[in-house]
Amino acid sequence: MNLAHIHLLLNHFPTIGFGIALALFLVAVVGKNEELKRTGLVIFFLIAAIAIPTYLSGNAAVETLCSGPDGACLPGVSEITIRAHEDAALIAFALMELTGFIAWLGLWQFRVLSHAPRWNVAAVLLLSILAFGFMARAANIGGEIRHTEILPAPPEAAFEGTSQGFARNLGAGVNAHQWIWPASEALHFIGLCILFTVVLLLDLRILGMAKRISFPAIYQILPLGMLGFATNLVTGMVFFLATPEQYTQNPVFYWKIVFVVLGAVNVLYFMVIDDPWTVGSGDDAPLTARIMAGSAICVWVGVLFFGHMLPFLGNAF
Amino acid sequence: MLACGHFGSAPHMMNFLRLIEQSSFSQWVVGSSSVFAYPTILLLHTLGMGIVVGISAGIDLRILGLAPAVPLAPLERFFPLFWVGFWVNATTGVILLAADATTKFTNLDFYVKMVFIALAIVILRVLRRRVFQDPAIDKKTFSSDVKLLAAASMLCWIGAIVAGRLLGYLGPVSGLTE
Repeated sequence: MNLAHIHLLLNHFPTIGFGIALALFLVAVVGKNEELKRTGLVIFFLIAAIAIPTYLSGNAAVETLCSGPDGACLPGVSEITIRAHEDAALIAFALMELTGFIAWLGLWQFRVLSHAPRWNVAAVLLLSILAFGFMARAANIGGEIRHTEILPAPPEAAFEGTSQGFARNLGAGVNAHQWIWPASEALHFIGLCILFTVVLLLDLRILGMAKRISFPAIYQILPLGMLGFATNLVTGMVFFLATPEQYTQNPVFYWKIVFVVLGAVNVLYFMVIDDPWTVGSGDDAPLTARIMAGSAICVWVGVLFFGHMLPFLGNAF
Repeated sequence: MLACGHFGSAPHMMNFLRLIEQSSFSQWVVGSSSVFAYPTILLLHTLGMGIVVGISAGIDLRILGLAPAVPLAPLERFFPLFWVGFWVNATTGVILLAADATTKFTNLDFYVKMVFIALAIVILRVLRRRVFQDPAIDKKTFSSDVKLLAAASMLCWIGAIVAGRLLGYLGPVSGLTE
């Protein structure tokens, strides 16, 4: 099993996952079923999280397919098709992450309102339809990389002149402007601190610090952590697009991404499950909530650890 | 670029910095292939930053009106952890500085970072006195100068982070930069 194999396993999730979530969400909206809407939002968010390793492992798959001299690809594999797939995937990925972010905000408000806010339903519907469309297109082009039997014409003819290597151009643009990398690093560290504000205040409260704060009160700060995460996803993608091979060939980075996905699953516990919500001012949190809070701290310190160790334990830079 | 030349006229000072940098401890920090040398010291410095800025930003943003349901008074419980983070960073910071004395001490950006941190600490102490020692802390709205202090605190931490990150890019190249 290599990363190309991982990409082949993961790449079905975004399209199929968003398809299922969209179907559920549409049924829920038409039938005015709030719990079903909530389930749809959860799936949108989780699939957006899985889309992160899906996109990233795609770069590793290209490196596996095109590892000949001067990056020559295996016989029958068209680099033009790969670039077209990569560009389509980047746009779809961006839309999918935006949908996941908005869906998450809807989930956050759901907890307090006990229904999905109107603005959110409209925004998630619109964005998810767009994201699904673009992801289906990316998946379709991706299929043509290896399954030439589905093509009416040779792959070179199908994409001649249509692929400018948009993703690669973005990466080259980052490298061409000296200030972008340091500026993104500074933002990445600011995002880290904001994320830590929430990890420290919310999770340490659950573990018994500052017990006078009730859980519903401290829950208000959660979007701040998401803002920090979003900042770091965007700046992290700047690094990845500029020098993908530093990360695709780096096992420390794989662990970092695994921990990011674990972090996404972890935060859902505090939004969807009722246990922590019973914790009032002065109360001790139930054991499960404590375990989840403790693991949240471990997960995010782990993300920081693996990110920091990329050049030391891994082989970046 | 940002190198300042005020040590250029003081060769004794420069010799002293070189002496620190060439001590066996400094050489171990920079030269050892052990993951417990430079990588772990820098990791602790980053983790300490997350704790220090994370807690301070939480208090600042609460004063600025974020998460109004959170009572401010219990947040004082986080100050001991804040100081743990601070002293971890003071210690690891001094070690990193010793390992790289001739370049950091001649880099204006380093002093910019120190000024931002000093200001941020002073502001936090003022906030603690003015906000947390007020018995009516959670019963009233904050005056505009308290809010201004909280905003200034945020700006100082952002300034310190940016200046710290840019140490790897501005001024003399130390060989320690990533």
